[in-house]
Amino acid sequence: MSQSPVQATANSLNHQGHFEGTQAEIVSLDAVSFGYSRKRLVLQDLNLSIQQGEFLTLLGPSGCGKSTILNLIAGFYKPLAGTVSHGGEEIKGPSARRGVVFQSNALFDWMTVEQNIGFGFRFQSLSKYEKRHRVETIIQLVGLRGSERKYPYQLSGGMRQRVAVARSMVVQPEILLMDEPFAAVDVQTREGLQEELLKLHEQVAGAILFVTHSIEEAVFLSDRIVILDRSLGGIAHDIRIHLPGPRYTAMNRVSDAFNQYRTDLYLKMKAIG
Amino acid sequence: MQLKVSKPEGVPAFKGQDLQTQALREKAVLFCVAIAIPTLILILWETTTRMGWIDELFLPSLSGIVTEFLAMLRKGYAGTPVLSHVLGSLRRVFTAFGVGTVVGLLLGLLMGYYKYVRAAFYVVTEILRPIPPLAFITLFILWFGIGEVSKILIILYAGALIVMLNTMAGVQSCPKDKILAARTLGANDLAIFLYVILPAALPSIFTGMRVALSVDFGILVAAELLAGDVGIGYIIQDASVFFNVEALFVGILMIGFFGVISDFLLRIIASKVVHWQG
Repeated sequence: MSQSPVQATANSLNHQGHFEGTQAEIVSLDAVSFGYSRKRLVLQDLNLSIQQGEFLTLLGPSGCGKSTILNLIAGFYKPLAGTVSHGGEEIKGPSARRGVVFQSNALFDWMTVEQNIGFGFRFQSLSKYEKRHRVETIIQLVGLRGSERKYPYQLSGGMRQRVAVARSMVVQPEILLMDEPFAAVDVQTREGLQEELLKLHEQVAGAILFVTHSIEEAVFLSDRIVILDRSLGGIAHDIRIHLPGPRYTAMNRVSDAFNQYRTDLYLKMKAIG
Repeated sequence: MQLKVSKPEGVPAFKGQDLQTQALREKAVLFCVAIAIPTLILILWETTTRMGWIDELFLPSLSGIVTEFLAMLRKGYAGTPVLSHVLGSLRRVFTAFGVGTVVGLLLGLLMGYYKYVRAAFYVVTEILRPIPPLAFITLFILWFGIGEVSKILIILYAGALIVMLNTMAGVQSCPKDKILAARTLGANDLAIFLYVILPAALPSIFTGMRVALSVDFGILVAAELLAGDVGIGYIIQDASVFFNVEALFVGILMIGFFGVISDFLLRIIASKVVHWQG
């Protein structure tokens, strides 16, 4: 793929702290085909590799297979052909090494914020002190201090999504899979959540695979964006994003570089239709 | 330097009530209506019967019913103290309800969780579901005798079927993503069942229990009408035979009273257990 003018501009920027792409591969899809029936494939011979610590976003129109890829990596689906592997081993089913944040937040309504966040620790052999400490740290990080004893129904949509993110991150998965996690909250809340997610990503070193419809969201968050095309059954574009660090600064939403990426991605998406 | 803030003059006075006041008023009015109508009915009942406008044989006066009730408390009914009648009935209904709930709960959980169990029981439950339990009562008497066992079993069957169907629906209604979320956090099947599926099904289970309890009271009276010499249903049956309309009403009102009280208790328990429903 030839380098676009946007990438040239972006590459000349003085960037720091962004992902360099030199680390080891964590998850890979090799020649993966998938469809609900063999006759109508959503993904066809798809190859995709996700690096350690990388923030990768899947972008594309509805039905292009974004969520399908996420579900395959989570272990919810099995590929019809090809292999999906994590750390060199084939993925056989869901595992605590791969966290998932759902759009619907999927919180346990009968548990408090604290109990929701600590749920994954029931199945890990850590000292009580260590569990407590990690839960408290992440509660502080996502700004849920004071809401520890509340139940999900007592929280706003944004707060609930914070709990969901904290619950998945606290067990320190090697990769966090996020399926349009912020689609159901208002714009102001969403921007706050995006900035918090970037801060969390800095602190907790796992990779993130993010699925969204929003070009702005993709550019603001990602080290790398993959655009999918249903008619190809796979990847149409694979683009690196270079924005100056720290990535969560609001300036990154209005800078020229941001706007250029956005325009470029918009045109690419339009071309797919 | 101090800023001079001039007080705005001629602020228009508030007109009308704000929404909170309106809501409070409406609540008060609704409460009054809810109390006033039954009171009115009671007054009407008492006056029309006392004045002799309605034959006592069709509708006894309220005071007549109260007198009959007090007399029953003193002398008992048909040689048995009222307390024994009441306890006899409550023992039947709660034994049947308790065992029926456990049976219905277990079957419902299995049917909800394992699709093979569901498939295995599907046809049978779909056939049994629309049949009124009372249709089986003669059969039960034939099989289990005319004594206590068939009475309790028919009540048990009616309640268990309802609890089972509601439990099954509750288990199936558990959102898929909550189960998947638990799995990606490392939960095994047992943990998912205990911490996710069961709590998610609890609201449905309690709804089923409440419906089952009210149905159980209905079946209780019908079962006691058939045979036996103890129970509120027996009082109703016996009083009907002897045209003792006052005693008949005492029996009817007692059933209503215990039905309401037990539903109220069950509702309190449900709101404590299913506290997250807001």
